[in-house]
Amino acid sequence: AGVLAAHKITASSPDTDLPTVSGLRKMGVNFTVSNKDTVKSSDVLFLAVKPPIIPFILEEVGPDIEARHIVVSCAAGVTISSIEKKLSTFCPTPKVIRCMTNTPVVVREGATVYATGTHADVEDGKLLEQLMASVGFCTEVEEDLIDAVTGLSGSGPAYAFTALDALADGGVKMGLPRRLAVRLGAQALLGAAKMLLESEQHPGQLKDNVCSPGGATIHALHFLESGGFRSLLINAVEASCIRTRELQHLADQEKISPAAIKKTLLDKVKLESPSLSVASASKVSLFTNKSPSSKKN
Amino acid sequence: GKVPASSILASAPSDKNLDAWRESGCRTTHCNLEVLQESTLVFLATKPHILPAVLQEIRPAVGPHHVVVSLAAGVTLQTLQRLLPAGTKVLRLMPNLPCVVQAGAMVFARGSGAGDGEAALLKSLLSSCGLCEEVPESYINIHTGLSGSGVAYVYLFAEALAEGAVKMGMPGGLASRIAAQTLLGAAKMMLETGEHPAKLRGDVCTPGGTTIHALHQLEKGALRATVMNAVEAATNRACDMAED
Repeated sequence: AGVLAAHKITASSPDTDLPTVSGLRKMGVNFTVSNKDTVKSSDVLFLAVKPPIIPFILEEVGPDIEARHIVVSCAAGVTISSIEKKLSTFCPTPKVIRCMTNTPVVVREGATVYATGTHADVEDGKLLEQLMASVGFCTEVEEDLIDAVTGLSGSGPAYAFTALDALADGGVKMGLPRRLAVRLGAQALLGAAKMLLESEQHPGQLKDNVCSPGGATIHALHFLESGGFRSLLINAVEASCIRTRELQHLADQEKISPAAIKKTLLDKVKLESPSLSVASASKVSLFTNKSPSSKKN
Repeated sequence: GKVPASSILASAPSDKNLDAWRESGCRTTHCNLEVLQESTLVFLATKPHILPAVLQEIRPAVGPHHVVVSLAAGVTLQTLQRLLPAGTKVLRLMPNLPCVVQAGAMVFARGSGAGDGEAALLKSLLSSCGLCEEVPESYINIHTGLSGSGVAYVYLFAEALAEGAVKMGMPGGLASRIAAQTLLGAAKMMLETGEHPAKLRGDVCTPGGTTIHALHQLEKGALRATVMNAVEAATNRACDMAED
């Protein structure tokens, strides 16, 4: 996203056949299969692996972590304290930042929050903020808000995709060709979001502004209200947040045993390295509901 | 307090309703025609089905100087004008119950014979009873659904609020008074700040706090849609009844 020159970025992955790898190479990013090399040549380390893999990565790169390194974890549910605990056996004051982003970083409209660990300075946070602000909105929060953020903007794009699919269905039902319906639905949501972000007005007021008395929109809104639209959305954010907490709790208790991870993956992890990339986030894995069957996020 | 009581003449067939008028110092009579002879501004406050007969009765005494204001629900300006001399200044008014405590919500529509002067007069007089706005006649049934009947929705909500409090251990009388004051205070804030209710609602909701938890329950119960249904049902009924 133009904040960092590609040659200053090193990405690492055990599996060099993946499309992400060639994508990164095309951008001019340095590539290696050795996590250790990555750590040696970098100052900021993004751990972009699935949460159960984090402990293994930390074990592997721990010895090479120095005071200058800033370790940024995007792994859902993995707490700062768990990372600090793991690293402190190697380095007395590891700088750790935990971040939660979302998929639209790929179109530079991401929503990212971060929380700084015990030994991370204000400047370290600001550096991360500068990096992530190049791909969307980025702000600092207290760590205990991160699961709520997951529920809202982490999962949020999925709610939006579901809504858009349904809106398109509505359009098709009323006679629009599918492609046009999808295009118009997406543009409507994009436009509405942009209006809200650029306006001082409350979304309720913006809604009223669209509803002429006795008109089409207010009739439609009545249907939405009858269906409990608002409460469904509240329920969704709540469910995602609660599930994140559950997973975090399970992870803290190290309830996810090595048996849950594919043996072949585990071997690769021990021999080579799971992915550790220092790339401006081209793709970030957020959710761990399914067992980590892919080697790279 | 805009008009001295002695200038007000009230007429009714029996004394049953006239005592209250007398107590305020108004003059009373049993003769409708007398009202037309003595007064310029005449309010027709009979039940709708009686009104046509009353109009027949007073028609001979109605002149171009009179301003006739009907409060009869469902009786249209067209009907009123048909039963009165051509060109009579007619207006139609729809109040609501809290007018009796000077916190009413009233709308009125003017007939073809009524001009700016009459509208201004009515508005100025009635503002002492609450909010008074001129509207197109088509809004009158909506006003019924929103505010005429709406008062009952509020009573229902207040009762439910109090019941919730009683369930949680508060005595009923106290709960009721607090419920009423809560509604009064919230309404006052809406009127005085002019802010959108959604914004005012947000202002009360601290993150993760009691209010947002409670609001979630209301949304789960589709309260908004239910209220919209109520306003719609009352409005539609008002329209149906008017046609009868």
